[in-house]
Amino acid sequence: MTWVSFSLILIALVTFVTGQLLLKKGMELTAPTKRLPHEVTLFLASGILSMTISFFLTLGLLQKFDLSYLYPFQGLSVILIAITAAVTLHEKVTLQLAVGALLISAGIILISLS
Amino acid sequence: MRDRPSGFTNPWLQLALSVVCVLVSELLLKRGASQTADLTKSWSWTGISGLASPLVWLAIIFVIISFVSWLYVLKYIPLSVAFPLSRVVDALVPLGSWIFLGEKISYLRWCGIALVVVGLAVVARPIGRLEERL
Repeated sequence: MTWVSFSLILIALVTFVTGQLLLKKGMELTAPTKRLPHEVTLFLASGILSMTISFFLTLGLLQKFDLSYLYPFQGLSVILIAITAAVTLHEKVTLQLAVGALLISAGIILISLS
Repeated sequence: MRDRPSGFTNPWLQLALSVVCVLVSELLLKRGASQTADLTKSWSWTGISGLASPLVWLAIIFVIISFVSWLYVLKYIPLSVAFPLSRVVDALVPLGSWIFLGEKISYLRWCGIALVVVGLAVVARPIGRLEERL
C-alpha cells in the first residue's frame, strides 16, 4: 500500500465520521425555538456533502483493493465516532459504551478478515 | 435528549427500522447486481448496469427510507450510542447472505459475528437505565 492509498483510506474514514457528526449536529438544532432553519439546512447539507465525498473515495478505492481489505477500516469508525462525539458534541461516553464499541469494532474487523 | 415520542415515532424503533432497511437493501443490491452483471462491457466496473434491475431500484428506495429514519434517530439519541448500535448490520448482513443468498460463513466469521453481538449487548445494557433517568 502506497502513501497515497493510505491517505485516501484515511480521508474516506475522516469524511464519513465528519459527515455523521454534522448530521447529528443538524438534527440537534431542529429543536423548536432553538435555531433558524437555515442553520439546520447548512449542517445537513455539509453532512451529506462530506458523506458523498467519503462514498466516492471508497468507490474509487474499491476499484483498486478488495472489499475485505478495506472493510476493517470501516470497523474503526465505531471507535472514532464514539471518541469524536464525546469531544465535539460533549456526549457522555461511559466505560461500558467504550468497551462495547471496542468489541463491535473488533468483531467487524474479524468478519471482514475471514 | 429531549422528550421522546412513543409508538411508531419511538426513536429506538426507528433505529431498528433503519437497520432493517440497510439489511434488506444490501441483500437486494447483491441479488440485483448479480443478475445484471456483464463483465464483458468495458464500463462494467462502475456497476451502472445494475440500474437495469428492478431489485436495485427497490434497494435504492430502502436506502432512502433508512437515511430518513436515521436522521430521525439522530434527533433523539446520542451519536455515540446510536452509531455503535447501528453496526448490528455488520453481523446481520453476513447472516442474511447465509440464509437468503446461500453464501458460506467461515469459522472465523462466526467468531466475528459473535463478538459484534457481545459488543452490542454491552452498549445496549445501560440504555434501560438511561431511559429511566429521563
